[in-house]
Amino acid sequence: MENPLSEARQHSQTIIEERGKRIKLAAEIGLARSSSGRHWARALRRRLYRKPPQREYIVKNPTPLLKKEVPLVAEVVADVAEEKEEIEDKVRALQRLVPGGEEMEVDRLFEETADYIEALREQVGVMRALACILDGMESKDGDKL
Amino acid sequence: MDRDLFSHIDTDLNSISYLSLNYDHFDSALSSIVSSPSAAPTPPGPNDSLVLRELIGRLGTICNNKSASVGAGDHSANTSCYSTPLSSPPKSSLHPLPNMNPNPNPMPFAPDPGFADRAARMPCFGGGPHMAMSGQHSRVSSSQSLMDAGMTGGVQLEGELPVRENGAGGSGANNGRKRKAGVKGKGKEASLASSGTVNSKISEEDQSAKRCRPDCKAGEKKGGTEEKNGNCSENNNGDRENKNDSDSNNANAKPVEPPKDYIHVRARRGQATDSHSLAERVRREKISERMKLLQDLVPGCNKVTGKAVMLDEIINYVQSLQRQVEFLSMKLATVNTPSDVNMDNLLQKDMPQACSGSMQQPLYRSAFSYPNQPQVAPLNSLLATNSIPNLGMQPSSNLPFDGFGNANPQIGGFWEDDLQSVVQMGFGQNQEAALSSQSFQGSGPSSSDMKIEL
Repeated sequence: MENPLSEARQHSQTIIEERGKRIKLAAEIGLARSSSGRHWARALRRRLYRKPPQREYIVKNPTPLLKKEVPLVAEVVADVAEEKEEIEDKVRALQRLVPGGEEMEVDRLFEETADYIEALREQVGVMRALACILDGMESKDGDKL
Repeated sequence: MDRDLFSHIDTDLNSISYLSLNYDHFDSALSSIVSSPSAAPTPPGPNDSLVLRELIGRLGTICNNKSASVGAGDHSANTSCYSTPLSSPPKSSLHPLPNMNPNPNPMPFAPDPGFADRAARMPCFGGGPHMAMSGQHSRVSSSQSLMDAGMTGGVQLEGELPVRENGAGGSGANNGRKRKAGVKGKGKEASLASSGTVNSKISEEDQSAKRCRPDCKAGEKKGGTEEKNGNCSENNNGDRENKNDSDSNNANAKPVEPPKDYIHVRARRGQATDSHSLAERVRREKISERMKLLQDLVPGCNKVTGKAVMLDEIINYVQSLQRQVEFLSMKLATVNTPSDVNMDNLLQKDMPQACSGSMQQPLYRSAFSYPNQPQVAPLNSLLATNSIPNLGMQPSSNLPFDGFGNANPQIGGFWEDDLQSVVQMGFGQNQEAALSSQSFQGSGPSSSDMKIEL
């Protein structure tokens, strides 16, 4: 008796996962559209439309990449060599996080990061609101029914 | 914070209209702005320059903040007026310039001799072909980033990169550039000192502004030259004044500050005056300014010092935001809504207006087109009403759907009055916790459950 239930549960689980992925994709598209003037937004769009939703924040290197990665060290302010190294690693990590970041120099990267953070915040807020609304709808409908 | 900035700007920019700047060009525009208000027949005195620099800084950040979203990679020299998209965010209290016209005309401001002089100085002004506006792809300067952090969505600066001013230019940037190979101004320190009264941010801007000078001189060394040049033009004004007070280490520095076509940068005492190292320094300072901006954005970073830690925080924050998006999308997937709610559409719909990621955009009340809803605002609605037909919502109007990427923070008033206050999305950090707790507990029948604490 549990089996069919668990199967059903798993099945619905998968459905939900699928739905979640689609929703996430939609959210990312919306995110990219919201700041279409930004480099990261364009890169994000390219990524989303080029390949079906796989893992997001591992940016596959776009073609015109890395040409600017080298000057990172020179640009980073640090007193000690190890510090520089460390900072550079972090900058690269940030580059990976921000869509399109790999093509940018550090100062531009920070700019894009700032804008990206803002856009992400808004996205999160909107999605939260939506979740709230839908929760409300859910319960309301339940009441009405 | 942004209010304060704006108030400052108001006093200074009485005659300045909305400048909508492609943030690539903000420097040139700023230069013109700077010149315009001063409108002095003679080159502005030190005080004026200070004020002007402040203006530039603020404007720049404002412009950049607003225009950044608009730019979309458009580097055309002419377009400084993305008036349409920029008009949507709330306007600042800047007053429009009477003679401002939204065309890419060279001289939106009333030309005055002083302006001509200044314009001539700036590399982006006047003739130099290579210094044409198109070359002024000034990247967001640090000032911009500073403003970005705190800026309301308001200021739209509509400007042209009046730089073409040309007349002033005369010899144009070319000559100017070559003239002083190594003039290094006292740099930021001087400017900071002189602008001591200025808002710290502004002084930072000055820093960054001046920073680019060596780059101007040094020529197009790095890829970011364009921006530096743009910045240089902005710096020029401030720098001029700096020079007056600072000792010039530079052999090339002329005793009098004649209007030049490019920016002079002074090396600080005890520092190398080599153009390379100066450029390096400028760049570094620009980067640290950006980091400060990020510091403001990322919560809890104010006390953190040191680049590595800051970077860690930033990375963590970005990751956490991304995870939140993921989590919320999964949560949305689990919501048991009526089947015809098309979540994908809700999230994907294009925004009717291009908004930069300003957090201070006006909070639009979502209109669920609830017929009895007195506060239905014909603005962006969070959910496309036509996607929830079975909820008994008759769309009173087809409100443009607000893409999720947009700031549509305030979802007031749902179908019932008691839900009006439910989702007040202020997008502040302090609200996230409240929101999460609210949403995760689901909605109770009482409205109080749904209310989000701000």
